[in-house]
Amino acid sequence: MSADKQNANCFDAGLKCALKSHSEPAPLDFTEKVLRQIRQSQEQKILARVVVQERLALTGCIILAIVFIVLTVALPGVAAGLTLQAETLSYKIDHALQTVGSRWQLCITFMAAFVFAVYYLVDSLVADTR
Amino acid sequence: MADKQHQKVGWLELLRSGDHTAFAEFVDKYKSQVFLCCRTLGLAEDQAEDVASDTFLAAYKMIAKYRGQADLGTWLWTIAYRQGINYLRKNGRFPELICEQSPTPVGRQEDTPTAAAYSKEQQELVWAAVKQLPTLWATAVILHYRQEKSLKDIALIMKTKQNTVKTYLFRARKMLQQLLADVFGEDIDVR
Repeated sequence: MSADKQNANCFDAGLKCALKSHSEPAPLDFTEKVLRQIRQSQEQKILARVVVQERLALTGCIILAIVFIVLTVALPGVAAGLTLQAETLSYKIDHALQTVGSRWQLCITFMAAFVFAVYYLVDSLVADTR
Repeated sequence: MADKQHQKVGWLELLRSGDHTAFAEFVDKYKSQVFLCCRTLGLAEDQAEDVASDTFLAAYKMIAKYRGQADLGTWLWTIAYRQGINYLRKNGRFPELICEQSPTPVGRQEDTPTAAAYSKEQQELVWAAVKQLPTLWATAVILHYRQEKSLKDIALIMKTKQNTVKTYLFRARKMLQQLLADVFGEDIDVR
């Protein structure tokens, strides 16, 4: 082996050895800090998603109201028909309640179904946000 | 051996699923390497901490897409290097290819040490010499000599060609030989 090659190998070995012994210390609480930042970013992500959902719902309500107003102004006939249908529906609901109210067995059955439906709805919503 | 491989695959799956305990292990295992990358890029301690945090946050977001094409360490070095370079650019500093100041030889000693017996002081002198190198050369040197990465991996991390990495290493080595002539003794032929 030539002297040049030997010199080069010696230098490389020395460099490798010295650099391998060097390390950059990280702060002791660095891992906790990173995990805290990750949790915070996840919370912010969830919060941002909720805000977007709420904004969408609000936009939907406003658009629906505007559509209804425009419909009432532009097409009064259709709006009147809708109002009439709503009145008929409220009369039908009232009539159905009176019929059910006079039969307590049916009333209990409907109440049980209603409570079950509410419970199921709440349960699904809570599970969704968990 | 197979059991160890199986455990590693399981750990990787946990990492990909976003498990915090597995990720804490991952941070503990690689944080010194990420800090080394940041410091090699010339960042101060507090800047290095910020960039290291950003690196691990980015890694957490991207780990689900990691398919094991590259070694996990190489993959993380790639992210850390990008984060470091971006930080430098944002702050109006650019990774240089020339020395800001004329390099000064480091250290002076009487005996030539053997490779196995480098004192803490000599290690510091070598590190000081590496820090005098232009940023890109220093990164290539650390990756090649300390991390023992292949030219292909270094090119991948530094997003450059293998021939460019070879050039960085060749020039860095030459400059280090001059800077460390005293540390490695007069028997090293400096040309």
